[in-house]
Amino acid sequence: MIELLNVTKSFSKGKEKFKVLEDISFSVNKGEILCLLGASGCGKSTLLRLMGGFDLPDSGSIAMNGSKVSKPTPDSILVFQEFNQLLPWKTVLQNVIYPLKVNHKYQSDQKRREHAEKYLEMVKLEGFYHSFPHQLSGGMKQKAALARALALQPSILLMDEPFGSLDALTRQSLQTVLLESWDKTGVSIIFVTHDIQEAMEIADNTLQRPRSIGSSEYMKLYEKLYTILCEK
Amino acid sequence: MKRTIKWIAVLLVLLLGINTGCSKQAPDLKQITIAEQYGLAYAPLQIMKELRLLEKSDANLLVNWRQMGNTAAIREAMLAEEVDVGFMAIPPFLIGWDKGMEWKIAGGLSSSPVGLVSNRSEVSTIKDFTESDRIALPQPGSVQHILLSMACEKEFGDSHKLDNLLITMAHPEGMNALMAETDVTAHFTAPPYLTGELKSKENRLILSGEEVMGGEFTFIVGVATKSFHDENAEGYKAFIKALEESISFMETNKIETVEILSNAYAISKEEVEEYLDTQGVEYAAKVQGLDKFADFMKRNDYISKTPASKAEIMWDDVYYED
Amino acid sequence: MMCIMKIKKFIWIFILLILWQITALSGKVSPLIFPSLGMILKAMVHAIIQGELLSQTLFSIAIIIEGLFIGAILAFVLAIVSRMSESLNSLVETLITLAHPLPGIALLPIIILWLGTGRASIVFIIVHSVLWPLLLNLITGFRATPKVYSDVGRNIGLNRLVLLKEIHIPASLPYLISGFKIAWARAWRALISAEMVFGAVGGKGGLGWYIFKQRVFMDTAGMFAALVVIMLIGILVEEVLFERVEVLTIRRWGMTEK
Repeated sequence: MIELLNVTKSFSKGKEKFKVLEDISFSVNKGEILCLLGASGCGKSTLLRLMGGFDLPDSGSIAMNGSKVSKPTPDSILVFQEFNQLLPWKTVLQNVIYPLKVNHKYQSDQKRREHAEKYLEMVKLEGFYHSFPHQLSGGMKQKAALARALALQPSILLMDEPFGSLDALTRQSLQTVLLESWDKTGVSIIFVTHDIQEAMEIADNTLQRPRSIGSSEYMKLYEKLYTILCEK
Repeated sequence: MKRTIKWIAVLLVLLLGINTGCSKQAPDLKQITIAEQYGLAYAPLQIMKELRLLEKSDANLLVNWRQMGNTAAIREAMLAEEVDVGFMAIPPFLIGWDKGMEWKIAGGLSSSPVGLVSNRSEVSTIKDFTESDRIALPQPGSVQHILLSMACEKEFGDSHKLDNLLITMAHPEGMNALMAETDVTAHFTAPPYLTGELKSKENRLILSGEEVMGGEFTFIVGVATKSFHDENAEGYKAFIKALEESISFMETNKIETVEILSNAYAISKEEVEEYLDTQGVEYAAKVQGLDKFADFMKRNDYISKTPASKAEIMWDDVYYED
Repeated sequence: MMCIMKIKKFIWIFILLILWQITALSGKVSPLIFPSLGMILKAMVHAIIQGELLSQTLFSIAIIIEGLFIGAILAFVLAIVSRMSESLNSLVETLITLAHPLPGIALLPIIILWLGTGRASIVFIIVHSVLWPLLLNLITGFRATPKVYSDVGRNIGLNRLVLLKEIHIPASLPYLISGFKIAWARAWRALISAEMVFGAVGGKGGLGWYIFKQRVFMDTAGMFAALVVIMLIGILVEEVLFERVEVLTIRRWGMTEK
């Protein structure tokens, strides 16, 4: 479904060059959830942006369903950590409907509306359709962002620490919402987090077999995670 | 709320302070501030300044000169008692007098040709103006505007006939606009702009001030405030004396006069001479044409009353000629 | 909170009016300098009944709206041009650096030579005084747009032009509105001063011309009447029109804390 081969990316800061990603290869199949676990600043988000087509790798290749990823497409939707990823001048419902309209999903407004409401219901945001984003709590904003992403029915969700700024209880309920939605839609998910427990919660149901990816550091981390999971 | 009240108190004190500040305690008797405008019509004042005639006529007098951009500014400064003597044309003086300003004419200064110049060959009298013509002049209520209105009254029986064509511009801008052949097709002005414009072949004089007034009239008069005249009688007398001396100096010492003026205005001696020799240029302390202006302005509602006697608008000893 | 602020403002205005009246009636200053409120009101009513003040106000407002409209279109075009490439951006920035500090009134003699003394010249000066602050605010607003908005826009498949229209412009609305506020204030200033310099054309003038005319005929109360009209319009536009727009947009959308 998505396949990375020897992906390398570096950034230059002044004269210095930082190699952020080196020789990363892995793939995700349809319906799988893959957690990318690592400390802050280790390049997880960079990797996610490359997979989303927002940036291009220096070398190596990223392919989605067999074709090369060169720009962002509605077939793989990025969900950010920032609470302000919703457009503040649109209501919750309009935020979900707008991308459908842009991508010509359905002919009538009525149909689009029903479709959007279905996904908002899925993430348990009934009753907030006509609220503006600034009237929502952080957790609700992230739910709305999730609904907006899912409503487009992408093949893959790229989630960049989406629950990273939430308190523990809210995070837990959002994790449940995510897993339920995944269950209903069968979308593939790549989930970035620096929280081992979160990775376990999400991956618990998904990682039949964690795979080691990328360079040795990643390998170590994933081996550690694997042992924790297996013990459980 | 308490703080607010305190602030109000502060404001009140400030305002009362301003009030008492405005009601000047007896003005300094040893000072005179004179306001003039730019141009050769004010030439005797340059002589007075240069030769220090006023200082010589009263050694105890501290003399301040102010050059201002327009008549309205001079009038406002005199209202605020910042200026004691100001020079201007007769119509703006009459407007101020009508509005209750406490001032009177102290003497004449100069006569000058004024005239309406057009750059359109089709226009030879004011009757030839069309809707698309634009006539530039300094400002409504200026002597140029009043003269044009007088001409309109004579020609059309309606003094406001051409008001829709007027456009307000200071002399230099007006001359630029006329010469650059913009939408301005006529300019009511005085030398040196008048002579400058008439040097160009396209331009022609279609109306002169003298023609409108039916005779000579004083272009610029000196006006003194009541407070200065009453409270500084010595200074007032010294000023009148210096003014007369300046004018007679110009008559008797032509070469020196030309030199002083050439320096003061930064123009060549030839140009000064040419101006002084221009027909209609005259420097004199007598005042001419006041009645004609006053009657016309009253008749056309520019002022609400005419002076009942000369004493109402002129200080003692002003030589008047009708 | 807003309401208390407004009441306080009114109380202050009331106090200032009373102080004004006390000063005017104290007899220490000439009414030619400091006319009483009654005289100003009388002058205003008189001028309105004559129809002069109203038509000149409308004349001024019409010119300002025309200038604002042209200025806004130019600002949008230049802001979009500046986003097209690095060198175009530096061209636009150079233009701003050169033109922004130039008071419109300083251009007047040249404008008279180029465009004459008609309405076009006044519109030109207003466009000049409106364009640069508006453009500056637009560019700043575009730059301040959170990256995540444009990422979302790109992700759902918007091309650059639609991205600009659907994401960047609404996202920079707070800057746009404050830009319009500055532009409005500058347009007024430019208009009044231009009219006071080259007056009326074809017998029609605006409020600046009206003030100038009252000045040369020494009608101080009439001058203040025109100033009051200018203030009233300012209050109406600032406190009612812009307020309303803000309530309906950026405050409703929670975009004011910027």
